Amino acid sequence: MRPPTSLKKEFLKKWIMGLQLCSSSKKEMSFLERKKAIKLSADVAMASARNATTRWSRALISNASKDDSNKGLVECILGPESESLKRASMSLVLCNKRNRSKKISRKSCSIRRARKSSSQMVMASSIAKRLVKKRTQVLKSLVPGGGSMSEFSLIEETLDYILSLRAQVDVMRHLANVTELLNRK
Amino acid sequence: MERIAGTGGRSGSTGGEKEEIGAESFLFGEEIQRLMTGPPENGSSFTALLGLPANQAMELLHSPESDTAPAELSGEAWRDNHMNPHKLYYCSPTFPANTALIDRAARFSVFAAGENSPETSSVPSNSSHKVKNEPTDTDSNPNSLPPLISNPTVENKNQRSTKRKEREKKAKGSTKKCKNASNETSEEAEKLPYVHVRARRGQATDSHSLAERARREKINARMKLLQELVPGCNKISGTALVLDEIISHVQSLQRQVEFLSMRLAAVNPRIDFNLDSLLATESGSLVDSNFPSMVMPLMWPDVQANGNRQPYQQLWNDDTLHQPVWGREEDPHNFIAPEHSLLSYDSSANSGPLQSNQLKMEL
Repeated sequence: MRPPTSLKKEFLKKWIMGLQLCSSSKKEMSFLERKKAIKLSADVAMASARNATTRWSRALISNASKDDSNKGLVECILGPESESLKRASMSLVLCNKRNRSKKISRKSCSIRRARKSSSQMVMASSIAKRLVKKRTQVLKSLVPGGGSMSEFSLIEETLDYILSLRAQVDVMRHLANVTELLNRK
Repeated sequence: MERIAGTGGRSGSTGGEKEEIGAESFLFGEEIQRLMTGPPENGSSFTALLGLPANQAMELLHSPESDTAPAELSGEAWRDNHMNPHKLYYCSPTFPANTALIDRAARFSVFAAGENSPETSSVPSNSSHKVKNEPTDTDSNPNSLPPLISNPTVENKNQRSTKRKEREKKAKGSTKKCKNASNETSEEAEKLPYVHVRARRGQATDSHSLAERARREKINARMKLLQELVPGCNKISGTALVLDEIISHVQSLQRQVEFLSMRLAAVNPRIDFNLDSLLATESGSLVDSNFPSMVMPLMWPDVQANGNRQPYQQLWNDDTLHQPVWGREEDPHNFIAPEHSLLSYDSSANSGPLQSNQLKMEL
């Protein structure tokens, strides 16, 4: 795994570049626009720092590039690998569609099964399983692109996602502190 | 590669041997370091982190020397298993040409759900079969069982191994979890696709439940890693509660990103982060002295790759701009120049002494 410092450096580099591009495009931006631009470039920079080796990064990039206004920014931040990355993320979207239809059919089958067994005694293990299932659903909604992952890969993606989020938060916090200190002077 | 699962929980606090981990108080820092030195197959962070389960069997069964006497090895195997009762070794080691290990692994592995394979029909399903599972890459189906049937050498060896196992079963009444014999060879790693799982005493031994158990073990190992990563999860037992913690941690991190971006938007009337001026004024007075140290390497002027960024800016230009970027570039020259040096850093940044310097300055 890349050491955390290099991840942060890459992230910072790409983020600053994205911000520069944003600011160069529009002279005046409202507060919300600025915040959105900052967050977007931060997210895309973080995802591209992983070079689309993980699913969540690919999902992030594909989500970001869906919006046309962001497309240029995304491409610039991604840099030279943008084309291959886009292709990778497009394929991911297609896989998602296939998996979703599979899941719908599976769910309908399991619902029929559940109705049959509801009359039996409710075991503690089934309760625990239901709890875990609910939480994995929530986790899937949190991690970008998590809807189509198996349980195992979900956990791995969460691991990587948490690491990247931490790096992102660290870098952003440092930058915010520095600029605030600057402004106070 | 080192074991993740076993050492993680116990040795988390003894990390810090590497300088870049120092400030980061991740408990798993030590393992991550070791993982870094292991050979990730495609260089991604994940596969290194994954520690794919050992597939020694494939190596073993392809190696010619597997005819050492099982009897003398069995004692050794049991001793090894006794000492490490509950570890499943996920980080795969390079397999040394150790005939003892080869034979042990050959003995302890069977085809999983090998309905079509000849030897499973000869062996009754109630005997303790062990499952050979193909480990998952991040992208592959986690529960696919290997198509071993197509491999004739593997089949032959397994026939021999199952016969040996039968003899062994008559000698011993119970089975224990396999430590994958590779506990001794923990240093080098080579990814092998099979996980050896043994049925515990009193547990069902048909191939399906074994596969289930192997899958559950994989998931539990990952959950342990996650537990170490998320602060405050170590004391909690139970998957649901741990998942709760993880969810809340991810949510809090995402919220922090939102708030920080709001802060940054509030601080700057226009989002220009002039790193040059930041550094000039901040080097003395920063609370977080890490930031300039991190940013400083990025600012090292690197003139040669200055042209790299211009095509991208051109692209951005064509999409959205009304005003030419080039014109703007001329005006705040000192503003743009450090940015360009920052941006063009990447080409030579990753080489030579710079890298070691950066690594030493940690965030």
